[in-house]
Amino acid sequence: MYFDVKGKRVFATTGGKPFDNSLPCVIFLHGSGLDHTFWGLHSRFFAFRKYAVLVPDLPGHSHSEGPPLKSIEEIGEWLNDVVETLDINNISIVAHSQGVLNALEFVSHHPERVRSVSFITSGLATPVNPALIDAAENNPEAAVAMMVGWGFGPAGHLHQGPIPGSSMVAGGRKIMLGNTPQELATDLKACDAYKNGREAAAKIGGPIQVILAGQDRMAPRKATDELVKHLKNPEVTVIPESGHMVPQEVPNQCRDLLKYFIYANNPAS
Amino acid sequence: MSHFYHFDTISLHAGQTVDPEFGARATPIYQTTSYVFPDTDTAASTFNLERGGHVYSRITNPTVGVLEQRIAALEGGSAAVCTASGMAATFCAITAILSQGDHIVASSQMYGGNVSLMKNTLPRFGIETTFFDPTDLDSFKAAIQDNTRLIYGELIGNPGLDILDLDAIVKVGNDKHIPVMVDATFNTPYLCRCFDYGVNITIHSVTKWMGGHGTAIGGVVVDGGNFDWGATDKYPTITEPYAPFQGINFWEEFGPSAFATRIRAEAMRDFGAMMSPMNAFLLLQGIETLSLRMDKHLSNTEALLEHLSNHKQVSWVSHPDLSSHSSHELAKKYLPKGAGSIVSFGVKGGRDAGKAFIENVQLASHLANVGDAKTLIIHPATTTHSRIDADALVAAGITEDMIRLSVGLEDVEDIKADFENGFRAARKFADA
Repeated sequence: MYFDVKGKRVFATTGGKPFDNSLPCVIFLHGSGLDHTFWGLHSRFFAFRKYAVLVPDLPGHSHSEGPPLKSIEEIGEWLNDVVETLDINNISIVAHSQGVLNALEFVSHHPERVRSVSFITSGLATPVNPALIDAAENNPEAAVAMMVGWGFGPAGHLHQGPIPGSSMVAGGRKIMLGNTPQELATDLKACDAYKNGREAAAKIGGPIQVILAGQDRMAPRKATDELVKHLKNPEVTVIPESGHMVPQEVPNQCRDLLKYFIYANNPAS
Repeated sequence: MSHFYHFDTISLHAGQTVDPEFGARATPIYQTTSYVFPDTDTAASTFNLERGGHVYSRITNPTVGVLEQRIAALEGGSAAVCTASGMAATFCAITAILSQGDHIVASSQMYGGNVSLMKNTLPRFGIETTFFDPTDLDSFKAAIQDNTRLIYGELIGNPGLDILDLDAIVKVGNDKHIPVMVDATFNTPYLCRCFDYGVNITIHSVTKWMGGHGTAIGGVVVDGGNFDWGATDKYPTITEPYAPFQGINFWEEFGPSAFATRIRAEAMRDFGAMMSPMNAFLLLQGIETLSLRMDKHLSNTEALLEHLSNHKQVSWVSHPDLSSHSSHELAKKYLPKGAGSIVSFGVKGGRDAGKAFIENVQLASHLANVGDAKTLIIHPATTTHSRIDADALVAAGITEDMIRLSVGLEDVEDIKADFENGFRAARKFADA
């Protein structure tokens, strides 16, 4: 669906059901250069189980009007604008990669409507190699190759996966190429500049889930350990065989973890 | 540093997860109609496209799925759907996006089955086609109408082997916002990956070079994932809610795989044109050696082109790798490894000489197929086109002395020796 936030057109998929803000809501947040389709199977699953689902494209990404926002802090405030515009309550946030940083900012400043938080494959900060930022601005094909190459684990690179006929690597590449050069480069710079993760993490209360990947080359274990260390009593699960793109590489395991956590902490009627 | 597997590795491994129970190295043949659900929630979510997995082998099958993912990977596409034949692939792909009142612009240089589908069958359902000469881009542009929803062609055209100018065709497709669908059977992704040139959808008869052994009929549709279906309201089957799946919007929910998912959800369910797991297994064996076979096809073709071009009983030879072919420059651009292994040539002495040649070769097989490991020949004037007159043959680009040759993998010296049997028998007609 499309809606306006402060005069800008925003697109969000609602998982195949009309959006109903009276229901408990799962908001899915995508990572750098990606869009709502990253969460395809998951959004549909919750939408058909009495949850309102909202999967926005960040400003400037795919179907949402630009320009892209330049800092994680701005995105956090924009998320609050989205929530207020649609008057959403009883929210479960599910965030992946850069989406985790965006969620840290949003939830730490606006915790009142949030019932649970699920963080997938990220640290407290995401320093980005200058060569990658440079490639995103000047050689998008190379930047996307790096992102997709590092992002997917062994199964992704062999085009394996539980969705018959689909190539995760090719699909991810197509989405990301559609969000270059400006959106990807802006996202990466925002990640690189973000320094408030530790402070934000400490402010977050309530149920927190962290899902990590054993083959993650984008968010190394040292970085994800920092996130876990500064959160209050998170439920931590590591999926050994997955790369960084957990929701796509091991969607069934990821969905089962999300399902039990959200059902327990933000139940639908 | 990021690393992506290369073509030969993908040919062998892509799509396959080694069997976790027994460790079978080869892809198992899952010869089953259906799949046991562990619980009702899994069943419901699999039915409703909320999770990957298998419900019924008319829709998906694990063996077929490996082949689909392997071909998608080889092509650089976002998703693939295998079908019972190449013609089924074409039909499923067209009907996924076109409806009554829509229009196709298609190359006239196509396999007869494709021509018949568009000329005779689809009009009965309100879908019309205008054919264009692939060597005449003005005729192509002039054929586009307001209701044109698809541009269709074969990269290596049949039977004249004219090469489609992908850059020019794709530019028009982009300007008019019409997807370009290419039958890539004759080139395979080893000779040309059409998506690298902006093509949006490819079709293959995998019966031919992809399988390569003449043992299984099959087809595939590959979604390039590079067409913005939502940019206009011209493609409602992709961008509007689809009632049979609780109002699913393929474009919203599946993005770069929207087109393939529509085929899976509708065509496989409603038309039932699925590939069998046994055929998928056989075709996987072929794809494992695709590049090796194609290299041999090409080297044998090169040797035979030289041999036939210098043969005193050959009146003409046609192949895009020859400088005399009208598509030679396009072939160099799009098919730098070689323009495939189909060759047309004329035997001096006309229809009777052609017939005599065919009847007296022994190694080459006289049959109506192409892309087998074995060398295949046919004399169109006395077989596939025997019921049409000389003028109609000319219009179809077929001469009475024409032999269509699908070059196989035998030792090329044996093919040459075999052809001498045919030429010897044809000689009396040439001398007459």
